[in-house]
Amino acid sequence: MNLVIVSGKAYDWRDDPPACYRHELLDQIIDHYWVPISRKNTNLIQKFYSLASTWIEETSFLSSAKEMAMHPAYQQIIGMGKDVIPLILWQLEKNPNHWFWALKAITGEDPVKPEDRGKVGKMAEAWLKWGKEHGYKW
Amino acid sequence: MVEAELEKIFPNLKSPGYSIKSPISIYYNCIAWAANEADRWWWPDVNEQYYWPAEVKREESLTAFIKAFGLLGFKPCKDSKLEPGFEKVAIYVDRDGKPSHAARQLPSGMWTSKLGNLEDIEHTFEGLENSHYGKVAKILKRPIRRN
Repeated sequence: MNLVIVSGKAYDWRDDPPACYRHELLDQIIDHYWVPISRKNTNLIQKFYSLASTWIEETSFLSSAKEMAMHPAYQQIIGMGKDVIPLILWQLEKNPNHWFWALKAITGEDPVKPEDRGKVGKMAEAWLKWGKEHGYKW
Repeated sequence: MVEAELEKIFPNLKSPGYSIKSPISIYYNCIAWAANEADRWWWPDVNEQYYWPAEVKREESLTAFIKAFGLLGFKPCKDSKLEPGFEKVAIYVDRDGKPSHAARQLPSGMWTSKLGNLEDIEHTFEGLENSHYGKVAKILKRPIRRN
């Protein structure tokens, strides 16, 4: 793939982009070399943990699953999409918490058996098994 | 959670006193605890992640919570006074009238609550009011079951 996105449009980077977009393309190229992919992942991890700790701190006394899931930090984590699945699964394995709503929202799947609804340990196990079956590593 | 932080969330706890009775646990919530369970979360979430009796509509309404406890033999009653031979459950609603919490009365007359993902505490009837949980909207009772 030789495509780059400039102002919402895809261009082949080997082509000469319109003059008005050249500075944007240059910014992207500089960004790519200045911030390596590995560091971009670090940013993702930092963002996830920052949001997760805010969510845990501000919802730990709640019983309402809906209120926990509607917390702005939790919603932002859902908005980060599939990239956070390994981080959530890692969290679920190390220190189970209510990540089930987020996993279901991000993946559109639900591997938890109806009889295990509410049993946090079994719910976590079901999602960890799902993660392994779908090739996620954490 | 340290007591100062709990008292910040639940300001009414401080003056009459309360005590923490369990370690922190993520494995059950206040509704389960009020229903005498300690191994799963009860909540009528539309996403169907948590346990809710199949016979009761999954909606965050006082009616749904009263019906859920009704399946366990609880019926509405008029006050929180200790009545020998009965156990009582108080259902709290937030400022929007949505159920937020439930507590169960102990034979001593004190109340026991599981605080979300945190600990179980013993507290007075008023101990958790004027907080995020709102106020008690309904009290239910059933005869104490003897094993």
